[in-house]
Amino acid sequence: MAALTRSNKNNIPIAFWPLLALTLLGIGLAIYRLVVGLGVSTNMSDHYPWGIWITVDLFLIPVAGAAFTISLLSYFLGREDYHSIIRPAVLAGFLGYCVVGVLLFLDIGRWPQFYNIFVPGYINLHSFLEEVSLCVTLYTLILILEIAPVFLEKWGYTVPIRWIQRGIFVIAGVGIVLSMLHQSSLGSMFLLMSHKLHPLWWTPALPLLFYLQAVYTGLGATAIAVKLIWKAMGLPIDRVLFRRIGQAMSINLMLYAAIKVGDWMGAGEIPLLLKPDAFGFLAWFQFLIGIVLPLAILLSKLVGHTSGPFWAGVFALIGTFIERLVVSWIGLAEPNPVSYVPSFTEVFITIGMIAGGVLVYGAVVRYFKLFPDPEHAHA
Amino acid sequence: MTLSRRDFFKAAGLAIGGALITAGPAQASTGEADPNEYAAMLYDATMCVGCNACTNACRQWNKTTAEPDARLLYDAPKELSADTWTMIQLYQGESETSFVKRQCMHCVSPACVSGCPVQALQKTAEGPVTYDQERCIGCRYCMYACPFHIPRFEWGTAQLPVIAKCTLCADRLKDGLQTACAERCPTSALIFGKRGDLIADAEKRISENPARYVDHLYGKDDAGGTSVMYLSGVPFEKLGLEDLGTMPIPEISEGTANILLPGILVGGPILLGMIRMTAKRGGWEDTWPL
Repeated sequence: MAALTRSNKNNIPIAFWPLLALTLLGIGLAIYRLVVGLGVSTNMSDHYPWGIWITVDLFLIPVAGAAFTISLLSYFLGREDYHSIIRPAVLAGFLGYCVVGVLLFLDIGRWPQFYNIFVPGYINLHSFLEEVSLCVTLYTLILILEIAPVFLEKWGYTVPIRWIQRGIFVIAGVGIVLSMLHQSSLGSMFLLMSHKLHPLWWTPALPLLFYLQAVYTGLGATAIAVKLIWKAMGLPIDRVLFRRIGQAMSINLMLYAAIKVGDWMGAGEIPLLLKPDAFGFLAWFQFLIGIVLPLAILLSKLVGHTSGPFWAGVFALIGTFIERLVVSWIGLAEPNPVSYVPSFTEVFITIGMIAGGVLVYGAVVRYFKLFPDPEHAHA
Repeated sequence: MTLSRRDFFKAAGLAIGGALITAGPAQASTGEADPNEYAAMLYDATMCVGCNACTNACRQWNKTTAEPDARLLYDAPKELSADTWTMIQLYQGESETSFVKRQCMHCVSPACVSGCPVQALQKTAEGPVTYDQERCIGCRYCMYACPFHIPRFEWGTAQLPVIAKCTLCADRLKDGLQTACAERCPTSALIFGKRGDLIADAEKRISENPARYVDHLYGKDDAGGTSVMYLSGVPFEKLGLEDLGTMPIPEISEGTANILLPGILVGGPILLGMIRMTAKRGGWEDTWPL
């Protein structure tokens, strides 16, 4: 990050070249995948119809949910402290969703007719996958509107900026509703898999758990990014802002923990937690590292330091990653387990697309006004 | 389930300015058809001799490619695939042996149909669950949704791959024919008929010959009922037919969709409006644009 965001305009940051190389490799492999098909380019099979791309998407969507959480807090809860991070969060969200979109496009087998998800006569409103597809697409358009002023102001179009500013509550509001829908629907997608998904993770409360997880994960990702970027840019870090982020996180972590424990007890799944197998271990690990530890940090005095929410964010993200990994991959049991290890192409397309996102982010940081001036940062 | 489609559209229209209102008739579940009238098959594992005539009949009618063994002597598919829509598998226990036929179960309430985002999979009024590749985007959600692990994907092709599974010979039923596999079965282990008639037939067989059968017609109520039903002399779990309960697989998901989607679309904006009105206004609008 530091190398990327250095404001010295004459030097190309060192990180640029490896990121560019990874991006180009990813683009080349993406074309290769489209030409040769999924069977040759990936290790997915009838036993593992979804691979690393879906898992990464399921993880990136709550991380990119930072944009939605921050707009909710700053536009609707009147927390002006968050204002300085709207732009960086919205851009990160937008690029995150772009990466998700590209990976989904590469993942679907019949990609030339991907637009069928928008064809009115085809849409199945009972399908949570359809619901996720529609909301993610619409939400990405909303994020374009939200981030447009960054570019418009640079290019001197003041009129459309005024329109956007006038309508920002409607725009942000629609974005928040769409986020509530697709973040929860991402969990609802697995409601159909009650006989496949491991019982420690399957619950009718999946939509609620995924939603709460998206909120605290987005906040955690924001704390991490703000700390790293602000430090790299030499901006003064606002401790009040960090404490607020930490408090918002802890509320959602507590709700998540309560529902999760309630579900385990209500469904009589405690014996599964005590079983010495991989799933028992993962459930404990996710709960202790991903929920209890960040909560302990945030409920202690550490919440007043910037490193408190930062580390809480790191651990919360680890927990979220484990949940998404289990739900979309290792927890979906098969009668005859065949192993799946992502292929070189799958891994480097994933890395390449993320690298591309980071690259674009760096370029916007460099050439546009994404961060507040130092005198405004400490409002 | 309790909320009509029209109510949902009303909610959707209110909340996001009709963005979803163009969605049109989006109904993919079973409608009001009587499951007893569905075209169905009864497979009696105690009568099956494992000759694989059904596998061959299926290949001939659907023009799928054989999957020969290593010496290229026999058609020997190991499991269902994009090319093998039905097959006979052998269960060899310590003292008992049985064959079991694999194929799409054509559920009364199919999870694949409920999950498919573009209604490429549909439950037809006659009973078969059919697939339309012109709609399919290849997302493979159906493969995860199906509790029987049936839909397969055409991984090997560089062309546009399709989802492949048994169609219950929907294209033969139209012409008044029965399914190709049932027609070919030499021992009548597999018979074709109306679901209601087959249930009566199967229950009669169990009551007349209780020693021969496990006292359960698999598929009558399992997973909400299926159009392909099984009788067996060995426990069904051993044949890979798991105990899935009697609740239709899509019930929780569709119930959640009917409550959650309109709930968020209507409740979300109301909640945001209330928050906005009650939260204290900050002065930040002037300090930094957007």
